[in-house]
Amino acid sequence: MSTVGNQPERLEFLQGTLEVLILRSLQAASNHAYGISLFLEQQSDNEFLVDNGSLYPALQRLLQREWIAAQWRTSPNGRRAKYYRLTPLGRKQLVAAMSKWMRFVEAMGRILAPEG
Amino acid sequence: MREWWSKIRRAVNLRRGLHDDLGEEIRSHLDFLIEENIARGMPPDEARAAAKRHFGNQTAVRERAREAWQFPGLETILQDLRYGLRGIRKAPGFSIVVILTLALGIGANTAIFSVVYSVLLRPLPYPNGERLIQLGESTPKASGISVTWINFQHWKHENHSFVDMAGFHTAVLTMTGRGDAALTYAGVVDSSFFHLTGSRPLLGRLFTEADDRWGATPTVLVTEEFWAKTLGANPRVIGQTLDLDGKAYQIIGVLRPGLKFFGRPMDFYLPLGISENNTVKRSQHGSTRLLALLKPGVTLSSARADLDAIMKRLALADPGPEEDHRAYGEYLSETITGDVRETLWILMGAVVLVLILACANVASLLLVRGTARTREIAIRAAIGAGRSRIVRQLLTENLLIAAIGGGLGLLLAKVCLRALVSAGPANIPRLSEAGLNWQVLLFAAAATIAVGLLAGIAPVFTARKIDLTSALKEGSVGSGENRRGHSFRNGLVIAEIAITLVLAFGSGLLIRSLIAAETSYPGFNSGHLLALELQLPPARYATVRTTLPGASTGEAARQFYGQLMQNLRGEPGIEAVGAVYCPPSAGDCGDFWYSVLDKPAPARGDVPLSLFNTAGNAYFQTMGMRILAGRGFTDADRAGGPLVAVVNEEIARKWWAAPQLALGQRIKVGGPYMEGPVYQIVGVAANVSQMGLDTAPMPEIYLDFLQHPSQQRVVMIRTAGDPAQLIPAVRRQVAAIDRNVPIQSLRPFERWMEAPLARRRFSTLLLGLFAALAMILAAVGIYGILNYWVGVRQKEIAIRQAMGAPRSAILRWAGWHAARLVALGIALGALGSWGASRWLKSMLFGVSESDPAMMILAGATVIVIAAFAASLPLWRAIGVDTVRYLHDS
Repeated sequence: MSTVGNQPERLEFLQGTLEVLILRSLQAASNHAYGISLFLEQQSDNEFLVDNGSLYPALQRLLQREWIAAQWRTSPNGRRAKYYRLTPLGRKQLVAAMSKWMRFVEAMGRILAPEG
Repeated sequence: MREWWSKIRRAVNLRRGLHDDLGEEIRSHLDFLIEENIARGMPPDEARAAAKRHFGNQTAVRERAREAWQFPGLETILQDLRYGLRGIRKAPGFSIVVILTLALGIGANTAIFSVVYSVLLRPLPYPNGERLIQLGESTPKASGISVTWINFQHWKHENHSFVDMAGFHTAVLTMTGRGDAALTYAGVVDSSFFHLTGSRPLLGRLFTEADDRWGATPTVLVTEEFWAKTLGANPRVIGQTLDLDGKAYQIIGVLRPGLKFFGRPMDFYLPLGISENNTVKRSQHGSTRLLALLKPGVTLSSARADLDAIMKRLALADPGPEEDHRAYGEYLSETITGDVRETLWILMGAVVLVLILACANVASLLLVRGTARTREIAIRAAIGAGRSRIVRQLLTENLLIAAIGGGLGLLLAKVCLRALVSAGPANIPRLSEAGLNWQVLLFAAAATIAVGLLAGIAPVFTARKIDLTSALKEGSVGSGENRRGHSFRNGLVIAEIAITLVLAFGSGLLIRSLIAAETSYPGFNSGHLLALELQLPPARYATVRTTLPGASTGEAARQFYGQLMQNLRGEPGIEAVGAVYCPPSAGDCGDFWYSVLDKPAPARGDVPLSLFNTAGNAYFQTMGMRILAGRGFTDADRAGGPLVAVVNEEIARKWWAAPQLALGQRIKVGGPYMEGPVYQIVGVAANVSQMGLDTAPMPEIYLDFLQHPSQQRVVMIRTAGDPAQLIPAVRRQVAAIDRNVPIQSLRPFERWMEAPLARRRFSTLLLGLFAALAMILAAVGIYGILNYWVGVRQKEIAIRQAMGAPRSAILRWAGWHAARLVALGIALGALGSWGASRWLKSMLFGVSESDPAMMILAGATVIVIAAFAASLPLWRAIGVDTVRYLHDS
């Protein structure tokens, strides 16, 4: 269910992937919701479509598990925004999830595009 | 765990904070987007609109983000409740009909369940009450007769199945020495009785085995009520004596209140063994039954086999006339409830049918409304409500309506219950204790939720399948109108008609039975008859019991009654006076074996039984009972003269071709295998309804009071005018002879005859009420569904008319639809009635359980009601304004 305009060629998130990607987007620095969605779209070369209807609940779920924490701060251009950062627990989860997803992606690739 | 904890913290402190926080975060998100759009060169207004578009549905985002923090829907449930209340307010007419329907269904069910629970289901108030058995003896012809003392002693000490066993019977004694002589009621029990019933003393002690011993000092254990009322609640009462029937009993204790083992409240308890322990004959019956506690894990049938083995051993060791007697036992709970059990379950079944009807009605109403709300639901889905959320909201709304209906139902049940308890017949045990206790409330809650879910599920299924685009298009008929919803609604109509027919047929049968019972000729003239019930105090009017029930010898009693009758006959306004031991409709006051001397002796197991009664001179004449042959009793039938008897028509017809042939024949009381007196038949009297108006006649033998004087008699007084007006004069006459004779009862005899019919009247009234309720509900349901059927077909009707179909054709088409449903419902209901009526069989009198006339009458009633309910929608069908309808769409 998309609440943004129709761009059929863009990808929607698979179940469970969005949360890992949010954690990854916060690995280098803290960011706000808009920043996270920009990061995900840009890093995926606009292949991913970030639906706010999924992003916000995912952020709330991560807060609940205390994998991320939030704080209101002023952005470099002087705007107040709610910044999310990884907690130590979140960092541990990210490492575990990254290795799992990498293996998953490789395995998918090997099956879908066999070499030779 | 961590998630739950944080949820709780947020729920307690931060809910509102989260709400604001999210709003602010979304605003700041939008600001970023606007800023970016402006940086791309858009004008501010356009930039804002584009940002909003790009962000998506703010409400949905907010709601979903918030849901992450919520306990399974707590907040949405509150919101659903608010929506639900709004929905109810928006359609008040609809809501009132639904809520009232539910209130009626749930209220009636709760009230009846409360009675069923109190009378049938509630555990007995004794420790291990579920293992308590009442024991008696059984013969090849009768079961549950009294246990002889010697058999009891063998059972008690030789069985392997029971923890303990106690004998009990009741006695009426005259207490003297404490003010006026007074009749008192005693439970005569052995020492185990109080352990089995879990009774404890308030003062003093309970009986021990020493109290049961032959020759022991007579002791008495008084109840708390008697102690407070008659003994002035004197704490030093222990050791004092009570004079009962001229014998001194030493008070050993006061019992705590709460023991309600016997049908009526008792004044005190006496030890059983002291009066029985000298018994020598194994076949000497009194009226003792046994209360026994099964060992855990032992079945009733194996316990009976255990006792039967003892009886077989005894038959060899101590042969006698009762060698073929065996043990009989049933659970005490069944003994207590007896035949009420069946009546109550039938009523419960009927009232559940009413609830199903109410459910069907509500389901159809919700379905119709659900279809009308298709657009509203589609809009909700379009602005971001998830399907599951919509389903949940509809269910909540239905449950809310059900809960309001259930709450009202509870109030209704409270009112109905009060009426039931006060109007109910006195002989239903524990009826007066029925109330809205937690078990009943639980039942009401369960019924409410079940109804809410059942009635709500169909519309919800329809809602799930709503197709957004077609539902949102202006003027479309609502996509709830699909084939499945259609056949579901038809099924509801059929079920409603079938259920109504079953209830109409059942209650019709009961009403006919009641009318038959009330108008049946009792065998005598019951108007202008006053009944004076006396039991002479045994201390003064000492009698010696003989083997015959109710018979005894006693000159004092003979004189008292002779004097009383003579004085009453002299009272102005009194036309005739005659006494009897057991008046018609008083039931079975004792039956016994008999045989006819000149007929071949029956086999041991086939000795016939007859009711035995005793009557005085002029009794038959006073009652207006027809004497078919011979005569009634006269003063010529004296004590010491030849023994005479009057038999009823039932006996005369059993043995002889005509009543006249019975005259002069001799019958022997006790049958051929037992010693017993021989009587000559001097008269044959018409049958009377001895067991009540709604029973078949039974064999009955009348003996003469002059030959068998009894302390206890009912003096029947035929009056010229209103019998109630003579009550003071009769009282005066009794007191004039002996001031110390208490009057048991004195009332017009019609009151006596009503008593056995009270329960029939009660169940007939209730079932009739349920049937009436069912008819109303069914009428509303049929009307609603057909009205809807016509509503969604207005277009079709308009087109048919435009194509030239005459009104009569439209009426035939719609009428055919209704008629088909009614016919199917009637067929199904007839089948159901056929099954259900066999269940009713034991409650019927004077009408067959498959009475075709009643079937036709019930079917016709239901058809008329259905036709009436269908006529309005059909009228609407032919009234469709073709031109306007086609123009509008």
